[in-house]
Amino acid sequence: MAIFMGNKVAVVAGTTTITSFVSTVSLNREVEAVTITAMNDTIQNMIGGVEISNVTLELFNDFAAGSVNSIFEDAIGTKLNLKFIPVSGTVSATNPSYTMSCLITNWTPINGSTGGEAATASVTFPVTALTKSTSA
Amino acid sequence: MVPSTVRTNLKTALQAITGLRVMDYVPDSTNVPTNNAYAVVGQLSMNYDYTLNRGFDFATCNIIVMVGRMSEKDGQARLDGLLSSSGSTSIKRAIEADVTLGGALQTLRVVSASPGTITSASIDYLSYQYAVELIG
Repeated sequence: MAIFMGNKVAVVAGTTTITSFVSTVSLNREVEAVTITAMNDTIQNMIGGVEISNVTLELFNDFAAGSVNSIFEDAIGTKLNLKFIPVSGTVSATNPSYTMSCLITNWTPINGSTGGEAATASVTFPVTALTKSTSA
Repeated sequence: MVPSTVRTNLKTALQAITGLRVMDYVPDSTNVPTNNAYAVVGQLSMNYDYTLNRGFDFATCNIIVMVGRMSEKDGQARLDGLLSSSGSTSIKRAIEADVTLGGALQTLRVVSASPGTITSASIDYLSYQYAVELIG
């Protein structure tokens, strides 16, 4: 694989592919930096702690049955599986999938303005489990 | 979004206005109907990849409406009716009556209308240029 455009990411929420309603998607993997600096250290020392990743989505809302709004609004306060594939299609070693369990901490069912923009929701969810796969 | 379908369906929507002569191509010459108006559905300006993986595109379409010679008082009055945001002669109302254009789009909005003139065969015609935003 080579450099690739980021406009073909596949997004699955639960069992529903919602790719065509997503304009921006990102998975930010991060671990806590745990300080273990001792008395005789001359520079701070750290080790990696637990992972504190999160996902961010910009979505166009849709109130149709089983579509974007019901998927996220019905899941508020619970965990929802999200799956991202860098380039929609076959998962492989050069196109791995990321499957996450995310706590749905917020949702924006109504987001209107007089500017006439399409109704969107911009959300960030904490990741509570993450699996990277090269085969599914 | 299929541009030809969108343009055809915009034309159909505009034809709901009684007496409005509508074309979905730019004619060689103008022939403004007596006591009414003439509309041309212009070409689409496309912005691809509004959502991920070739989901939806964003486009704008200009619609030009002409009513008569600059000096014609009745023409100016007819423009007022077309420019209104409501009523049976409203361009905005006619186009937004079905924001999916029969399923050809996700949604649309008539954003603005700007006055101007169109010169054809050395005659200045009163006109308005409408900007329509399309998502689909």
